[in-house]
Amino acid sequence: MDAQPARHPHPLYRIGVDIGGTFTDVVVVEEHSGVVQVVKVPTTPADPSQGFLDGLAAAFARFAITPQQVVFAVHGTTIATNTIIEGQGAAAGLITSAGFSDVLEIAYQTRPSLYDIFYDKPRPLVPRWRCIGVPERIAADGAVLTPLDEAAVAAAACRLRDQGAEAIAVAFLHAYRDPTHERRAAAVIAAAVPGLPVVLSSDVCPEYREYPRTSTTVVNAVLVPKVGPYIARLEQRLAALGLGSGLHLMTSSGGIIAAATARALPVHLVESGPAAGVIGAAFVAGRLARPDLGARILALDIGGTTAKVALVDNGVPALADSFEVGAAARPTTTNGRGQGYPVKTPVISLVEIGAGGGSIARIDPGGALTIGPDSAGAVPGPACYGKGGERPTLTDANLVLGRLDPAFFLGGALPLDPARADAAIDRAVARPLGLSVVAAAQAIVEIANARMIAALEFISVQRGIDPRDYALVPSGGAGPLHAVAVAAALGLATVIVPPTPGLNSALGLLASDVKHDLVRTLYRRTGDLSPAALWSALDEMAASGLRLLADNGVPPERRELRLEAELCYVGQSYPLTLPVPAERDGVLAALDAAFRASHRQKYGFASPTEPTLIANLRVSAIGRVDRPAPAAGRPGSGAAAALKGWRNVCFDQPTDTPVYDRARLGTGDRIAGPAIIEQMDTTTVLPAGATATVDASGSIVIDLRR
Amino acid sequence: MPDTAPALDPVTFEVLRNAVLNATEEMALTVRRAAYSTNIKTRADFSCAFFDTKLRCIAQSFAQPSHLVAMATITPNAVREYGEARFGPGDAILVNDPHRGSSHLNDITCIAPVHLDGQCIGYLANMAHHVDVGGASPASLGLNRELFQEGIIIPPTRIATGGSIDDNLLGLLLANVRAPRETNGDLRAQLSANFVGAARLSGLARRYGAATLAQFFDALIAHTERWTARDLAALPNGSWTAETFRDDDGFSDQPVRLRARVTIADGRISLDLTGSAPQLASPLNCTRTMAACALAFVARCLVSPDISINSGFLARIAVIGPDGLCCTAQRPAPVVGGWEMAQKLTELIWLALHPALPDRVPASGKALIVNLGFGGEDPRRGGYYCYMETIAGGGGARPDRDGPTAVQTNLHNTENAPIEEVEMNYPIRIVRYGLIEGSGGRGRFRGGLGVRRDFEFPDAACSFTIFSDGRRFAPWGLDGGGPGACARYVLDPDGAARELPSKVTVMVPKGGRVSVQTPGGGGFGDPARRDPAAAADDARNRYL
Repeated sequence: MDAQPARHPHPLYRIGVDIGGTFTDVVVVEEHSGVVQVVKVPTTPADPSQGFLDGLAAAFARFAITPQQVVFAVHGTTIATNTIIEGQGAAAGLITSAGFSDVLEIAYQTRPSLYDIFYDKPRPLVPRWRCIGVPERIAADGAVLTPLDEAAVAAAACRLRDQGAEAIAVAFLHAYRDPTHERRAAAVIAAAVPGLPVVLSSDVCPEYREYPRTSTTVVNAVLVPKVGPYIARLEQRLAALGLGSGLHLMTSSGGIIAAATARALPVHLVESGPAAGVIGAAFVAGRLARPDLGARILALDIGGTTAKVALVDNGVPALADSFEVGAAARPTTTNGRGQGYPVKTPVISLVEIGAGGGSIARIDPGGALTIGPDSAGAVPGPACYGKGGERPTLTDANLVLGRLDPAFFLGGALPLDPARADAAIDRAVARPLGLSVVAAAQAIVEIANARMIAALEFISVQRGIDPRDYALVPSGGAGPLHAVAVAAALGLATVIVPPTPGLNSALGLLASDVKHDLVRTLYRRTGDLSPAALWSALDEMAASGLRLLADNGVPPERRELRLEAELCYVGQSYPLTLPVPAERDGVLAALDAAFRASHRQKYGFASPTEPTLIANLRVSAIGRVDRPAPAAGRPGSGAAAALKGWRNVCFDQPTDTPVYDRARLGTGDRIAGPAIIEQMDTTTVLPAGATATVDASGSIVIDLRR
Repeated sequence: MPDTAPALDPVTFEVLRNAVLNATEEMALTVRRAAYSTNIKTRADFSCAFFDTKLRCIAQSFAQPSHLVAMATITPNAVREYGEARFGPGDAILVNDPHRGSSHLNDITCIAPVHLDGQCIGYLANMAHHVDVGGASPASLGLNRELFQEGIIIPPTRIATGGSIDDNLLGLLLANVRAPRETNGDLRAQLSANFVGAARLSGLARRYGAATLAQFFDALIAHTERWTARDLAALPNGSWTAETFRDDDGFSDQPVRLRARVTIADGRISLDLTGSAPQLASPLNCTRTMAACALAFVARCLVSPDISINSGFLARIAVIGPDGLCCTAQRPAPVVGGWEMAQKLTELIWLALHPALPDRVPASGKALIVNLGFGGEDPRRGGYYCYMETIAGGGGARPDRDGPTAVQTNLHNTENAPIEEVEMNYPIRIVRYGLIEGSGGRGRFRGGLGVRRDFEFPDAACSFTIFSDGRRFAPWGLDGGGPGACARYVLDPDGAARELPSKVTVMVPKGGRVSVQTPGGGGFGDPARRDPAAAADDARNRYL
């Protein structure tokens, strides 16, 4: 990937900018040659747009790019999620139906932590004194029970302005059914307090269930005055540079949207960062010489504190329809709801567990060995960092087992101290359990692997998906250390180690489509609907979707629609999502039959006669974006040429193991395990029985079938 | 298993601990997604668990603390009574009899064996609160004198054989309940969950071997018991007594005495109920199992949060004292409202422990479930409807912070039903849902606020049952903190405003309204010592 480009006479560039906690990564892909180049600059937390521009300037200078040569720019950002987590959201006001202004205080009325007497619900994003009810009421069937009191709306808006509100959220009961009152309220507010942003629940989240809808609306309202100006500032500075393209941002669902849309709907950016990583993993896997190997993947990102897993089918990540921002990582979904602020927007389905390189191993008071969720972080860090950390971590265990080279961690930037790792494991794990230090380190690694395996099973097996049909794509510094062992335990045949596992996110930004997700609550019995009524709702949504694509500058031949319906039996609340068949007349019967079949597959039973109901309709409006075509790697001259040396590595037994330099491996080079492959940002552990081959795309494909 | 079996290695132990808990979580997901009634699918009033062949509880999904001991008691009792030998693969039984060790009739437990190659390796159970099991009034909630009036009593009875449901038995059950479509769907969800769990556990057994699994169960229970004992032993040892009252039994206005002696010694915690009022001819009674849930809840709060919930934990907990008290009721006592007794008992255990653990005990919270059940003709959709829900209230202030507002407390943790979902599915309208200002007890730390929810019946008259308490004896404050506000139940709140008793069934006319107003929590510490910034926040938000 870092081969010197043969410069095209008229080069054009795509640029992805991913702002992480420590570094801002700028990935540049030249349009004709596919050459990928990278610049890393420090993130500037006070004003992240500064780091963005620094990175851009550095990339322009280093690769001799003029702003006019940039044809496409995408940004992944954690600004939305950080704004909420750090309590830095704007002061918003909330206007609700009279009698229901405590919706945020009451939330789900539960305690996510059952046995913690000292637990507190998250503080509402809008305090009670800025929540105002106004007379109006619409019934479940859309009938107007109480007309909107416009004078009350105007008075509420003025009061909220006087109280310092920087944005106003409006969420009326049953507004998903009939948005008339909300829209009228928006007009009244605009007249009463011109210039104050107004966010309507019927625009942001037109789905039934008032608390999640109101919460989503309020999250958007507290973000608009913060994230909007950030994006606007970036747009202005990029325009001032003379950038040859507009700016797109990555959403929680892994699509991209134009900056103007993102300014109005920043709630869609909350999971932008993790989404880009999953899209990047899918992109890398999709470029293998044998595309079938990477068509279905499990993405495993192991960082310092947590591991995240996601599932991707044919380039399309599995999605969830909601999540909570500000909630601690936990893999359970049946309970624990209510820890954060609900956001009901499509999101790449991620399971996050507290097991990363810095996770601490210890003996619990009952005598069992456990790992995490507490982490030594970067400071003091694992014991082997020698920065004052005394407790053994996963990284210490990998070092003791010889899987990490103490002199080549981060390419040698951070020398590790094996004696400290040894002592920490001996003190905290080995002696209490009566094991040797090596056996204790092995146990630590195996338990960490078990937690990752459980997370991978959670997103596959528990959803009726056989993980053995998938390839594992590790990323993050520790991903390739554990990937092969984890894959073997799950019975997977293939592991794909990307060329630079640390760059998945930035690369992912350039590998996605423009996508707008629309939803509308129908909540009608299938038997009470006519095909014409269903199509009229869908056609209307499709027209809005196409309009959004046009506004985002997507040319007509690149526009595409995906129509889905959510069905359940009358009485159920968790519908199944099914594609809407393109049959004008037979659509209802086909949906009904598909639902019953899917219900049987999922729950083991299905009534052939009980009535069904269509809860929500969903339309994804997609603007196809060409993927970059990174240049092929150079051909290999045999793995022997890349051999760095030998060292003792403990697999089941201590084994004298060859160590290879990834930078010197080329296409077609093949390595049989046991082996270690080292590169600047990660180490790949290849046990006996596994075979690694360097693919033309630069990834290493590891075959686990013996 | 041979005596010489080596101790389980730490890796296998940890892997299996996660795997078994994951299996019960997966069961819980299945129940919730496939269920029909609001109470189960939305409010999550259910729990799932796995038992080994010695009928010890090995793992439980997190849902309702009230099911903690109930499932661990009724499952072994039911399996033994039905006969272990009679279970084949794909079989399942139902049971709901409070006097066989369950809670109230609405909680139906579905139990199925797990087999590997024809050999039984354990049992799966899930307990779910059904909206109606028959009886005198909608939601099976009402002021009755005998269990027989509260609905259909199910002893351990086979509902499925080899994976197929017994339609005769199902027909009999459904003929006895008011919401047969929902009950049918909910029972299927329960059966499904067990099938899903069985597949997962037999897979584990195949991978690790039944013998290793059995070894793991022993190790897990020993591990949990060791840790529980250690944490309990680290608490102050001693015996403490406290006393309180429920308002009345619903038939008279005599207060009902509850007395608790809590003892912590030798790594165990026990609750002696001697001195509490005798068994009532009222559904305010709770069973010994329900009383044990109250003790288990408090114990669980006092030990490390990382301790697994299984028989090893429960082995360190005991409820002593005679049978036949209002909190150790025997057949044929009615018990449908017994959780109202158990909720107060939980607060009483905390109160007893306050002198021993002044930094860890909260003031009293709402100390209620607030059972509401109603139903009637549904003129728009046709047929009969039946609905139940419970309303949050204030939590007690803690020694270092305010009490939580609008929460379920202690044994109880069901979600609210979204107004929009309720109004789409039932002929009712919610006309008000908000905090009750000033309901939290004053103190250096303020009690949490209670909640008001007003129901309207726009289409037809309805039979509305309240089974609750808390109108007379308020949630107490501690260390000089003031009490929380009492509960109120009001018919026609915007008109004649007639106060209703806390245990009553009324006919609400078409267009009528009922207002339910739950208690606030008690305060903690001298109100004069309240931080001025917190007081200003109270004033600005109109919390007081």
